[in-house]
Amino acid sequence: MKSIKYIFTGVFLLFLQLNTQLFAQTNEPELAPGRKAAIDSLALEKVRDLSKYISIIGDKETPFSEANRVIERAMELFAEGAQMGVSSLNSQEVKYYGVRTYFRRLMALNYDKVKISWFNIQYISDLERQPDGRYVGVITIYQKFEGISEDGMKYQDTTKKDITVFVERKQTQIGGRLIGFWDVLLGDIRVSETTQ
Amino acid sequence: MLITSLAYSQDPLGEYLGDESAFYAETKQVNQFFRRFNNEESKDGVRYNPGDKKYRDLRERKNYLDILFDAQNSSITRDLKQQFIADVNNETNPTFLDFRNGDWFSEVAAKFDYRGQEQIIYLYLRLEQDRKGYKWVLHHVHSDKYSSMMPEKESEEKKFIHPMSHELDFMNLNKAFQDTDHLQDYAVKGYKPDYLTMLLYDIKRGDLKFKTVTDVKFHFFQVDNWYFEIAEFNRSGMNRGWLISSLAKVPETQKENFRKYLFRE
Repeated sequence: MKSIKYIFTGVFLLFLQLNTQLFAQTNEPELAPGRKAAIDSLALEKVRDLSKYISIIGDKETPFSEANRVIERAMELFAEGAQMGVSSLNSQEVKYYGVRTYFRRLMALNYDKVKISWFNIQYISDLERQPDGRYVGVITIYQKFEGISEDGMKYQDTTKKDITVFVERKQTQIGGRLIGFWDVLLGDIRVSETTQ
Repeated sequence: MLITSLAYSQDPLGEYLGDESAFYAETKQVNQFFRRFNNEESKDGVRYNPGDKKYRDLRERKNYLDILFDAQNSSITRDLKQQFIADVNNETNPTFLDFRNGDWFSEVAAKFDYRGQEQIIYLYLRLEQDRKGYKWVLHHVHSDKYSSMMPEKESEEKKFIHPMSHELDFMNLNKAFQDTDHLQDYAVKGYKPDYLTMLLYDIKRGDLKFKTVTDVKFHFFQVDNWYFEIAEFNRSGMNRGWLISSLAKVPETQKENFRKYLFRE
């Protein structure tokens, strides 16, 4: 068990060191194209995790306890207070849910079978700096939902998901040295039904 | 340099689920509208950085500009569109959109509940610099309810507090403030009610509660002698996403009046 801990700490330190080499150790970092690309990957990785979690939570084959565990993991991706704003093709009205409520509703959907898949396409915005110094961007992805009810009725939709991404330069002290790294958190998500 | 970029990633997120060409064609974000308008990304959404050969390339840009219009809007004639493209893509003096410092603002139609009654209020927001970055700020509000409470009138119809009222310690204020239909008549010439303050006050009192956003569009005054609006079109086909939904030639001298028209003043 101890050795696993050492390996984990070692990997973590290596990750921080890589970050330190990638990004300048300044309080007001400027993002050069290479660094932007690195942050892109980091942000997209979080979105990839989220899409994976959504597919698991929505899957009717996922046991209740496992779905709850995945919801907790998914919540760790988000900044506090993040919401989902959902609208359909029939109504432009946006309904707002807390992220946890959204996951719970997804878990409780009344279908016998559910399949959630994602299109290849993704679009990543510029990162813009906000007054507190954090950077904010939006990643757009497309999801296909298929649900089959007990009586065999099939429902399917395609939704566009615009996901807020917050990027923040943080520091941690390791061996008396301050090491900088970039932290990515997801924020509000706009979900709109669309046509393929 | 405050703006940075989350470059487009080639590494796909999902799987191939059928024809995705409409999603590629779609102007998916307002950010993408800016990039396409300025020719700052490839057809696949790969961002060009300043210094790249194709960054803001005028020849390639012409093709982009052509697809950024709502093709179903007959009021944007082919001739008008071509004049606009020729102006913004002028080889000697092209015009590019500026996200942070340009003259543009957002109009948001939002549904509120006012003491049990639904009403649409138009919120106008613009970008403002603050400390280390930028933020959207409310700068104007329009509500039919507020404007009907404070109708503008010809000066001769206005009620007034007579010029010798001071001799009676302004005791006629008692009548003036009971005359709620004409309260604004007693204010200074040129008085304009501040609907933004009224909105904030009503929300703070708990009389007005936000329900939802029903519509969003953006108004642009960044091109000399032109005005255009963009809106999001959620429909099938390739001509979708954020597109130019309105286009008009507006001389610089008339732009201020045009803004007032947009603010429903």
